[in-house]
Amino acid sequence: MKLTLVSRSGREIVKGGIQLSDSATVADLQEAIYKRIKKHPSRQRLTLPVQPGSKERPVVLNYKKSLNDYTSGNSETLTLVFKDLGPQVSYRTLFFFEYLGPLLLYPVFYYLPVYQYFGYKGERVIQPVQTYALYYWCFHYAKRILETFFVHRFSHATSPLSNVFRNCAYYWCFGSYIAYYVNHPIIYPVSDLQMKIGFGFGILCQVSNFYCHIILRNLRGPAGEGGYQIPRGFLFNIVTCANYTTEIYQWLGFNIATQTIAGYLFLAVATFIMTNWALAKHRRLKKLFDGKEGRPRYPRRWVILPPFL
Amino acid sequence: MATLFSPLRRLYLTLYNFTVLFGWLQVLYLVLKTLKELGHEHVYTAAEKPLLYAQTAAALEILHGLVGLVRSPITATLPQIGSRLFLVWGILWSFPEIIRYSFFGFKEAFGSAPSWLLWLRYSTFLILYPTGISSEVGLIYIALPFIKASEKYCIRMPNTWNSSFDYFYAAILVLGIYVPGSPHMYKYMLVQRKKALSKPKSE
Repeated sequence: MKLTLVSRSGREIVKGGIQLSDSATVADLQEAIYKRIKKHPSRQRLTLPVQPGSKERPVVLNYKKSLNDYTSGNSETLTLVFKDLGPQVSYRTLFFFEYLGPLLLYPVFYYLPVYQYFGYKGERVIQPVQTYALYYWCFHYAKRILETFFVHRFSHATSPLSNVFRNCAYYWCFGSYIAYYVNHPIIYPVSDLQMKIGFGFGILCQVSNFYCHIILRNLRGPAGEGGYQIPRGFLFNIVTCANYTTEIYQWLGFNIATQTIAGYLFLAVATFIMTNWALAKHRRLKKLFDGKEGRPRYPRRWVILPPFL
Repeated sequence: MATLFSPLRRLYLTLYNFTVLFGWLQVLYLVLKTLKELGHEHVYTAAEKPLLYAQTAAALEILHGLVGLVRSPITATLPQIGSRLFLVWGILWSFPEIIRYSFFGFKEAFGSAPSWLLWLRYSTFLILYPTGISSEVGLIYIALPFIKASEKYCIRMPNTWNSSFDYFYAAILVLGIYVPGSPHMYKYMLVQRKKALSKPKSE
């Protein structure tokens, strides 16, 4: 089979095209392209050409499929549109660095005498809530890092390098912003009961969140095969993105215990971001599992935050 | 902006745009009049009220973009409006605002705007952005010592919500945002200009 690769503006990417056997997979093609133009497969985006004027989103080639799946009858030649996605990093790398910031920066505000430089001289008394908050926060981000390496199964996904800077800025800045207020020498601590309720509820949600991640992990095989499945069991029977739900409530617990505007602001932004993800995921699952051709039909479920959405 | 949706939306947007247009015309008139009769020291006092109304109404535009009433992306409207909400400035902004609101007013009311208005809308920024941005930055910079001394709009610890706000440091942060923000906004407008002025007048 002869494959012609063009850019979105019509320029030929690989002179003369690429010759492959008829049973070759998309992954084989990506390897061949890599040899010719030195762009790693993870930054290659291959799509079927769309008719000019068509409003449809182009079909992205799946690396696992055979090239034959994309030829419509004529299996001698195939023209594909190529886009360079730019330098990529694995999700593991991305997550590790974005979570490392909060894990290391928060204790700086707790242990080191930083508040002197903000004008607060003299003896500093650490409140119990601040100590518990430290443990809670560090546990949370340590959990996230461990999950990144041992629990999550990513389906062959990478992320553009620029996301490293964007995401790290988000986590590191917000982490420092919250750490400044929670560890403040003249913090106004909430009542003992409120603190216990906050942290207790938060821990419960963190454990639930971990269990949700285990369930999601088991939907996929070790090499990422399995793609998208209908999650079942535990809270997933009621809500599509139970993992995000527990994550949001877990931050709510933290904020109830520590009561800072900074913390609640972070909760609001995180909720907004996760809600967008949840809507996209819910939509994708409903589209994939439409009940036709033997596929199961996606059950009626809340998207992310019952009873609102 | 497509007028695909309900007539109600069109009516609301028409009224909104013409009202704010009137507001900015009033601002410009007051500013020029006061400048001529009393001198520049009195300009702000004279224009303050209508200016505040017109400028704050612009905050509604962020809402419009957010709820999908119009198609502008929020990443462009938020800094645009945000910067101007932070610092209110008469003449320079009333010009593009007059152009802009009459443009939208025409579009919503009649379905299209005159081509010279379209040209103005997408060309005046070429000069007005750099001058406007420099004046904003300059004014913030000049105001810094006064902000620090007056302690206005500051919230101090301790308080039940464990938060603080320092207007002085917020102002410095805003100045910092201008550094990447201004080239980004200018580039965005250049791209929009190219798209808008090369399209056939069928929209």
